[in-house]
Amino acid sequence: MTQVEHFHYDNAIVKKFAFATMLWGIVGMTVGLWIALELVFPALNFDLPWLSFGRLRPLHTNAVIFAFVGNGIFMGVYYSLQRLMKARMFSDLLSNIHFWGWQLIIVSAALTLPFGFTTSGEYAELVWPIDIAITLIWVVFGINMFGTIIKRREEHLYVAVWFYIATWITVAVLHIVRNLEIPTSALHSYGIFAGVQEALVQWWYGHNAVAFFLTTPYLGLMYYFLPKAANRPVYSYRLSIIHFWALIFIYIWAGPHHLLYTSLPDWAQSLGMVFSLMLIAPSWGGMLNGLLTLRGAWDRVREDPILKFMVVAVTAYGMSTFEGPMMSIKSFNAITHYSDWTIAHVHIGALGWNGMLTFGILYWLLPRIFDTKLHSVKLANTHFWLGTLGIIFYAIPLYWAAIVQNLMWRAFTPDGFLVYPNFLETVTQIVPMYGIRVIGGALYITGVVVGIYNLLKTAGSGKLVANEAASAPAFPTKHVAEGKEHWHRWIERRPMQLLIGSLIVVLIGGMVEMFPMWWVDDNVPKIESVKPYTPLELQGRDLYVREGCVGCHSQMVRPFRFETERYGEYSKSGEFIYDRPFLWGSKRTGPDLAREGIGKLKKSDSWHYSHLIDPTSTSPGSIMPAYPWLAEDDLDVSSTASKIKVLRQLGTPYDSGYETIANDDLAAQAQRIAKSLKGEGIEQAGIEKKEIVAVIAYLQRLGVDITVQTQAAK
Amino acid sequence: MFKYILQNAGNTNWMAILALVLFFAVFLFSIVWVITRKKDYVEKISRLPLED
Repeated sequence: MTQVEHFHYDNAIVKKFAFATMLWGIVGMTVGLWIALELVFPALNFDLPWLSFGRLRPLHTNAVIFAFVGNGIFMGVYYSLQRLMKARMFSDLLSNIHFWGWQLIIVSAALTLPFGFTTSGEYAELVWPIDIAITLIWVVFGINMFGTIIKRREEHLYVAVWFYIATWITVAVLHIVRNLEIPTSALHSYGIFAGVQEALVQWWYGHNAVAFFLTTPYLGLMYYFLPKAANRPVYSYRLSIIHFWALIFIYIWAGPHHLLYTSLPDWAQSLGMVFSLMLIAPSWGGMLNGLLTLRGAWDRVREDPILKFMVVAVTAYGMSTFEGPMMSIKSFNAITHYSDWTIAHVHIGALGWNGMLTFGILYWLLPRIFDTKLHSVKLANTHFWLGTLGIIFYAIPLYWAAIVQNLMWRAFTPDGFLVYPNFLETVTQIVPMYGIRVIGGALYITGVVVGIYNLLKTAGSGKLVANEAASAPAFPTKHVAEGKEHWHRWIERRPMQLLIGSLIVVLIGGMVEMFPMWWVDDNVPKIESVKPYTPLELQGRDLYVREGCVGCHSQMVRPFRFETERYGEYSKSGEFIYDRPFLWGSKRTGPDLAREGIGKLKKSDSWHYSHLIDPTSTSPGSIMPAYPWLAEDDLDVSSTASKIKVLRQLGTPYDSGYETIANDDLAAQAQRIAKSLKGEGIEQAGIEKKEIVAVIAYLQRLGVDITVQTQAAK
Repeated sequence: MFKYILQNAGNTNWMAILALVLFFAVFLFSIVWVITRKKDYVEKISRLPLED
C-alpha cells in the first residue's frame, strides 16, 4: 500500500503572475492603441522622440508578447504544473526570482526601447545586457520547472507538460542563437550574422517566437484548462500526441515564409513554404481536438462566459493557422507581404487566440485561488462581446486596406506606367481603414478594462488561498511494467528524455536550413562594388535603427515589375553583406528605401533635411512622424572607433587602425553635406555636427553600390 | 537548387538524410504508438487534468 503524502500548492506565485498579466495587458494594448492613433493623427507623435511611432511599435510588440502573454504563460504553467505533477513548485525562492526577474526585464525594456536602445531585430529588439538577463531568468524558470517534474508524485507526464518542456528548450535555443552579438558599448552591439544570413536567423527566430512563445505554451494551457472548464477530458488524447510531435517538428522550418521573393536563396524560400503548408495538419488537428472537447457540452457554452472565451480563442487559433499557411504560398504572399494583411493576421492570433484564452483562464482561475465566485457573469459576458467585436472591427478594415493598397501598388496604365507612382497616394487612401481599426482596438481594450475590473472585484470578494492543501500517493519508487513496455511510455515518464527528444526534433529544422547558409559561399554571391559604409553613414544607419525606421520602411525590392518600376533594380543578397543589422523590414507604411540614393528616387540633401524635420513640408498628407531632434542634437562620434573595431572583428574589411582616423573621414563627409545643404538654402549654424547630417549621408548611400557596378560593367 | 547547394557543401548531405529519416521515424513511431495504446490507459492519462 502506497503512503499518501500531504502537501500544499503555491497559489501566491500564480496570483502574482495573474496580476502581472492583467497589468501588462493593459499597458501593452494601450501602447498599441496609441500607435494606431498616431497613424491616423500623426500630430500625436508630439515631435517627441520617445513618443514617435518607430520607437513605440517595438515597445507594443514586446509588451504584448513577453509581458502580457509571457506572464500569462507563467501564470498558467505555475498553476497547472503543480496540479499535474501533484507537487508544490520545486523552490519558492526560484519562483519569486523568476517572477521579479521577469518584471525587471519588462521594466528595463520599457526604459530602453522608447529611448532608442534597440537592435532592431523584430521581437529581439532588446539590448545585450537585457538579453543576458532573459537568459538567466529563463534558466531559473527551467530549474524550477524540471525540479518540480523530478519531485513529482504523478508518474505520467500529461501532454500539457510536454508542450511546456518543448517551449522551454526551444525558446532557450532561439533566444541564444538570435542574440549572438558583440557589444560596442554598454547598450549597443552588432550581431555576428549580417545581411541575408541574419535575415534567415531572424525569421527562424521570429517565426518560432510566434510558434514557441505564443503557441506551444498556450496549447499546453489549452490542453489543461479547456478540459477543466468543460469538465471533461480532451476529445482525443491520441490526437494530442500527434499534434505535439508534428507541430514542434514542422514549426521550426517555417521561418523563411517571412522572406518570400526577397534575396534569400530560392531553396530556403521553397523549404519554408512547403513546411508552412504542412503546418495546417497538426494545427487543425489541435484546433479540432480543442473544439471537439466540447462535444455534448455546447449548451453550456451558451451560458458559461469562460467557455465562450475559450471557444473564440480556439477558433481564432484555427483561423490564423489556416491563414498563415495560405500567406506562405508565394503568389498569395506577393499580395499580403509588406501590407496590413500581416498586421491583421497577427492580431487574430494575439487578440483572439492569446488574449481570449488568457482571459478565459483568468476567469476560471482567480475565483478558485481566491476561494470565491466570479463577481459578475454579466460583466464577463460584456467583456466577451466587446472583445469579439473588437477583433472583427480590428481585422476586417486591415484586410480591406491590404487589398486596396496592394491593388494600387500594382496598377499599371495601358501604356505601362504605374497608375499611382506616388506611394503616398496609396497610404492616404487607406487611412480611413486605420481609423476603423482604432475603433476595433478601443472596443477590445474597453472589454479588457471591464474584465480586469470584474476580476479585481472577484479577488477582493475572497481571500487568497496562498497554500492550498492537497494530498497524493507518493511516487512509485519502482515502476511496475504492464506487460511489455513501449518506448513512448518510457519517454513519457522521463522528462529529461522528453527534453532531449524535443531538442533534437527542433534542432534538425534549424540546422538543415541555416548551416548551408552559413557555410556555403555560393548562397550569397559577392558583388565587387559593394563596400563597407563610411563612418558617417554607419552612424547615420545606427540612427535609422534607433528611430525604428524599419518599422515602416522596407529595404528589399522584390523582383516584380510593379516594384522595379516604382523603386528600381530588385535587391540582391550580395548587397547586404555589411549590413548589421539587416534592415529589410516586413511592413511598408512608407515606401521601400533600398534605392533611395539613386535613379529617379534620389532627392537632394535639402529635401531630406526638410522631410525629416517636417514630412508634410515635402509630402503633403504624409503620416510619418517628424524628427526635429535630429537637427538639434549633436552626433555622438565617441562611439565610432569601437563600432569600427567590432565590425572589423566580424569581417567588415576596414583597414587595421582605421578606427583612429575614422572620425576625420566622418567630419570631412559631414562638412561636404553641410556645404551642399547651405548651397541649397538650408542655413543652420553648426549643422555639420548634427545627427541629421549622418542620417542624410546614410539615406543618400542606399542603392549606390550597385549603380557603381552597372557603370563598371558598361 | 537545394541538392546542388548540398552537393557543393560536401559535408551537409548527412543533415538532409538525417532530417528525412528522423522526420519519418518520429511520425511513424508516434502514430504506431497512439494506435496501439490500450483504451483504458489513454483514458487514464487524459483524465489527469480533472483529478485535483
